[in-house]
Amino acid sequence: MKPLLFTLKAEPDQRLDLSPLTPDRLVGRSAKEIESLSIGTTRESVTVGDIFKVKLGDVTSVRFDGGSDRFDLLGAKLLPGFAIHVEGDVGAQLGRAAKGGTITVAGDAGPYVASQSAGANIDIYGDAGDFLGAPLAGEIPGMSGGRVIVRGSVGARCGDRLRRGIIIVEGDAGEDLGARAIAGTIIVLGTAEGERIGYLNKRASIVLSEQRELGPTYVDCGAHNLGFAKLFAKSLAGESRGASRLLSGRLQRFAGDTAVFGKGEVLLPA
Amino acid sequence: MSNATLDGKSISSEDAYEKAAEILQAANFPLVAGLGADVAGAQAAILLAERLRGAFDHLASRDSLADLEVVRSAGIFVTTPNEARVRADLVLLVGPGLTGYWPAIFDRLALDKETVHGGKTKRRVLWVGAKRGEAKIEGVEVETIPATEAELPGVLAALRARVGGRPVTLPAAAAKKLDAAAEALKSARFGVAVWSAAGLDSLMVEMLQGMITELNATTRFTGVPIGGRGNATGVLQTSAWMTGFPPRTGFGRGYPEHDTWRFEASRLVESGEADAALWISAYSGEAPPWEDVDIPLITLGPPGSAPKHGLFIAVGKPGENYDAVEFAQETSSMVLRRASAPAGLPTVAEAIAAISAKFSEDLPC
Repeated sequence: MKPLLFTLKAEPDQRLDLSPLTPDRLVGRSAKEIESLSIGTTRESVTVGDIFKVKLGDVTSVRFDGGSDRFDLLGAKLLPGFAIHVEGDVGAQLGRAAKGGTITVAGDAGPYVASQSAGANIDIYGDAGDFLGAPLAGEIPGMSGGRVIVRGSVGARCGDRLRRGIIIVEGDAGEDLGARAIAGTIIVLGTAEGERIGYLNKRASIVLSEQRELGPTYVDCGAHNLGFAKLFAKSLAGESRGASRLLSGRLQRFAGDTAVFGKGEVLLPA
Repeated sequence: MSNATLDGKSISSEDAYEKAAEILQAANFPLVAGLGADVAGAQAAILLAERLRGAFDHLASRDSLADLEVVRSAGIFVTTPNEARVRADLVLLVGPGLTGYWPAIFDRLALDKETVHGGKTKRRVLWVGAKRGEAKIEGVEVETIPATEAELPGVLAALRARVGGRPVTLPAAAAKKLDAAAEALKSARFGVAVWSAAGLDSLMVEMLQGMITELNATTRFTGVPIGGRGNATGVLQTSAWMTGFPPRTGFGRGYPEHDTWRFEASRLVESGEADAALWISAYSGEAPPWEDVDIPLITLGPPGSAPKHGLFIAVGKPGENYDAVEFAQETSSMVLRRASAPAGLPTVAEAIAAISAKFSEDLPC
């Protein structure tokens, strides 16, 4: 059966809140009911029907033909067993607080991808904005499970307050990669910008693909053939060959951030 | 002479209020930004944003939110400058340019005088990351921990690591210097760190505050933040008691929503999401931060700060041209400042009331 299809009719002139359009919240609704859902965020009201042509289909999988950087909160609170595909860009907070499921985005994503996500598998084929996996202002933990793969590059503060889960960036990362990370794994195959890597990192593993200077609160622990990294590499082979190759090699371990507890690490190819 | 201009040409105040109301009412998502105003002015501006279902942001919200981010996601130790003045036997100054952010800082902290409570002792003053030649305070021996702006995050982190007895990767001489500083911090009986978020960022403030938390396991240590310009702290508190949120809050859906990314003023304008802006900068006449964007703009500022384009309405300077309640850095509280040079200019609140009075009746209030 073909997926439930939203075809973009018109570029929105305001940011849209697409959180009502997750598969689990569309079960049992007619096309007309879906088209009347309100998704606007200003005093000018906007309904699904103003922006999309809706074609009913398999509700466990939703497809958006056409995207916009104003599509906020797409796949928010997504449940396990459901899937969303976007043929285009998305805005802020993609997969926000998702419990599970899969989200694929063919274009770029805005800031706060996978913010407080607890288990979604998210694939972005373009770039992602700042604060990937981070909590929103005032929240304590960030992403707490699942995995995110960005085939392009990401902005600043990627993996901020990451609690659990895997983030793989195949392109470059902006400033303050892995800042305040609590635990979890962040792998970057391109370069990581700025002086501060893993600032205030408690227990997370940050894996980079090239030798570089780290701050004074990362302490060299020597080069190792890490058994777990090799197992981990095997499990990632189907998801990101570059990440898998990086982890299966010999790795130089730097323990830090010693300003906090020093139980985290940055791994660089030896 | 009229105190209002349109594209640089003088117009009557009545016409200016009329025109401003027209612009704001026609907008789908207006922005009320700047908010460099006293408490009454900020209250009027936030109420206006709510009535128009727009968004509001403060001109120094980057700085006030950097501190607030640590308050709300990590925790913070702070005290008033007066408490520091009477008790602090050790003062740790953090970052460059502190006197630029608060000119009277050293007088208020009385660094050259002895403590009053907890025994009369001479103060020890440490300054980490001072600018070249800046760490000179009359009558005070300042111990410096050198760090360029780029090195400061790393030096703060290393200092915190040494306070906790954890290892760092530094040349022996630099490590020895940090160890001595860490020892000084730990042996303080009432230590106070002083910083300005304008010179740091939220990660550095979190690092510093984490160190203060650790120091409090064995002694007393706290902090004095220097607030942002344009009554940033006062506006933040006003916003909090009115909406439950700090600036960068929108009313698009009829209720307040806070989002530090979505409602950032420059982003709203540059992305085209806001289609008109009211810019308020009554203290300094600071210009809006966005560039090369031509949206209908109304500016409220002191006389002489009129931009070349858009509508300008002159207002008095709070606390100078009219009595104003604002946040006072020196006492860490709201104070009433009596006008030192009264002028026949409207207050920010009066200007906004005059604009609101011109709205047509179909706009809900």
